[in-house]
Amino acid sequence: MLNYSVKRLGLAVIIVSVVMLLLFTMIYLIPGDPAAVALGPRATDAMREALRVKMGLDQPIWIQFWNFFINAWQGDLGNEVLSDRPVTDVVLEQLPFTLALIAGGMIWSIALGIPLGCWTAIQPGGIVDRIIGILSVGVIAVPSFVIAIYALLIFAVSLRWLPAIGAGDSGDIIDQIIHLILPSLAVGLGWVGYLARLVRASMLEVLEASHIRTARAFGLPERLITYRYALTIAILPTVTLLGVGIGQMLSSAVFAEIVFARPGVGKLVYDAILTRNYPLVSGAVLVTTVLFIAINLIADLVVGVLDPRVRSRL
Amino acid sequence: MNGLNMTRRSFLAACGAFGAATMVVPRFALSQDGSVLTVRSYSDLQVLDPTFRLSLPEDDIIRSIFAPLVIPQAGDVWGWKPIAAQSIEQLDDVTIAFTLKDNIGFTDGYGQMTAEDVKFSIERFADPAMESPYAGDWSALKEVEVKDKLSGLIHLNQKFVPLWSTTLPTPASCILSKRAMEELGDKITTKPVAQSGQYLLAEWQPKQKTVLKRNPDWAHEQGGFDEIHIIPIEDPATAERGFEAGDLDYTWTSVASIPRLKSNPPPNSVVLEKPSLAYVWIGMNQDVAPFDNINIRRAVQHAIDRKGVVDAAYFGAASVGNGIIAPGLPGSRDSVTYDYDPDKARDLLKQEGATNLSVTLDILNQTDRLTAAQVIQANLADVGISCEIKQNDSGTFWTLGSKDGDYWNKLQIYLQRYSMQPDPSWATVWFTPEQVGVWNWERVNNAEYKALHDQGLGESDFGKRDEIYKKMQGLMDESGCYVFLTHEVVGAIHRDTIQPGLKPNGESLFSEFKSA
Repeated sequence: MLNYSVKRLGLAVIIVSVVMLLLFTMIYLIPGDPAAVALGPRATDAMREALRVKMGLDQPIWIQFWNFFINAWQGDLGNEVLSDRPVTDVVLEQLPFTLALIAGGMIWSIALGIPLGCWTAIQPGGIVDRIIGILSVGVIAVPSFVIAIYALLIFAVSLRWLPAIGAGDSGDIIDQIIHLILPSLAVGLGWVGYLARLVRASMLEVLEASHIRTARAFGLPERLITYRYALTIAILPTVTLLGVGIGQMLSSAVFAEIVFARPGVGKLVYDAILTRNYPLVSGAVLVTTVLFIAINLIADLVVGVLDPRVRSRL
Repeated sequence: MNGLNMTRRSFLAACGAFGAATMVVPRFALSQDGSVLTVRSYSDLQVLDPTFRLSLPEDDIIRSIFAPLVIPQAGDVWGWKPIAAQSIEQLDDVTIAFTLKDNIGFTDGYGQMTAEDVKFSIERFADPAMESPYAGDWSALKEVEVKDKLSGLIHLNQKFVPLWSTTLPTPASCILSKRAMEELGDKITTKPVAQSGQYLLAEWQPKQKTVLKRNPDWAHEQGGFDEIHIIPIEDPATAERGFEAGDLDYTWTSVASIPRLKSNPPPNSVVLEKPSLAYVWIGMNQDVAPFDNINIRRAVQHAIDRKGVVDAAYFGAASVGNGIIAPGLPGSRDSVTYDYDPDKARDLLKQEGATNLSVTLDILNQTDRLTAAQVIQANLADVGISCEIKQNDSGTFWTLGSKDGDYWNKLQIYLQRYSMQPDPSWATVWFTPEQVGVWNWERVNNAEYKALHDQGLGESDFGKRDEIYKKMQGLMDESGCYVFLTHEVVGAIHRDTIQPGLKPNGESLFSEFKSA
């Protein structure tokens, strides 16, 4: 297991390094002058040039990349262009909002997706199975921003049950949870469908297994067989899928943060791209990437613990 | 464990009941108690230093927390009113006398505001070493002379007419504590020092909320609310939904939403439509083919149905504009020197042998611009010019014509919008020869235009200024590089329980909002 873990960690480091190179290249391929955008129309040529020097844009590109690469591995993501605050601080201020959003999305998807998957697997081909099957595919197909807009229009604008914008007052956890309900629904609803379909397929396979037949032969209650003996095995594939799901939720979070005017890393990156705030873009994307890789690494390690066959493959 | 007899089922039931309870509890707008105003700004604050401010929402916050000599007057007429100044008047063309109110204090123990602080703050703007983007506001400044503790004289090198319209009523007259700034030794970022205004910055949650609270030591005219919560929301549609959901008391709206909101306003709200100072036009780069030929440029001027473009892009909410200077200001025009005449456009193109012309129209990637561009595309196709629309994000778009970039010599025709302050010189300055390759993307280098611009800065007679600025726009027409479209409108919506403090062009003045 130690050997497996070291190999996975090494792979993660390589992936982060490659991502840094790609990220740096992409950012600098974007047209536009960050100094001009940052300083606005009234800045003089000298001011723009001074900012370019401050941002290191006057240096050859490989030196810029090397500085970025070395500093990033030392935890220094530089300073933000406009306010001169450390990028690490700016990103870490926003990260909890995005993590809360993704956690909320996960809760929606697990709380609805797994029971629905079980329910449909118990009565395959029935009316409930068919309706949930159609709905599952439907919510998978609908983009998260469409869900966000309709959820907002129905529950915030028409019914006024829930707030439309913001993340709630800091220090008021109930207010923050209330502000999280709609955005997390928008982020997580697509995954309800995925999980329902995955759990259903997995359950159908497990329910045909010999140990389940044996349990039935012993006369154990069907509810006990389904939730204790079948579901605990059928749920395993979702562990790996959740790692991927978090990545997709990170991208959905951008839309939810914009539609609900929530703070978060997604909106931070979006705003930073528009203002060509290169240090902030690279810092925020890098932190998000590391987060995604770390979650997948953990998911892989968990699967490795649960399934020895996986360890032998790497 | 007997005390906590909670099964999984009862736990889930309790969670469900809690969730349902939170949804049925009625929600209230924050300002229902009348003490908190919740407004939207289109961007978050980034710099609170008046000398280095970056955006309009920052202007409003800065003016509220660092007392300025004067602020713009709320209402439908451009003007100003004193805040830190007890009195302020122009003694002659180059001298302004001021006296501060007697009991304005700085927070953090920095004592009373004095004329020395005024001298420091204004001269800091003009100091070349500070490299302030707003140094031009005080470009005519010679020095500030301190007469006594509270009064002094502002001496100018030359007569500077925009001083009273676009310098003093902006954060360019905000007064900082000399001692605090010298101790700080740098510019103010997001943590203000030595605040002195009607409000104090109480809290800043980045990308989430800025909270201003009444300054308990402010002994003069009070703002209308105990607290002002400023929520940064870039997208106007999101802000409109937030207003309709009861989360905001005031917001700007998109122009496209004005007809819908006016015909079906949300309950207990008031929809406003204000004339904008902005100007929108089609520009042509005279240094790049085919627009290096004046007759091709003139053909485009005649090919564009300006009313059709404006009606389509703004849903009938905006009217056609005839220049860069908005109605009500000296130099505002009633007409342009070219008319919509596709036949004339075709004749000009035929005369130049310009068949199968193909051009690229660069625009900002916004819905109204795309709609306008599609009408322009159809107009040009009608006279035989094939037009490809290229959408750019804001970071790219605003550098297209920059001489530092590599696109200015490919840039052909573009849809452009600039905003301005209530003085015509703010509109004309971007088209002077010095601005070629900076903000003058048409690259028109006209010495007569420059001379007229300089003349306008020193002319205080309304009639003469009107003549000067109309002549300048006539020169722009003559160049063939411009097709003027509109000055747009500004839409806003507010609760009927508040009375918004707005400049004539709809820009907000937080400290001037009152309860209705």
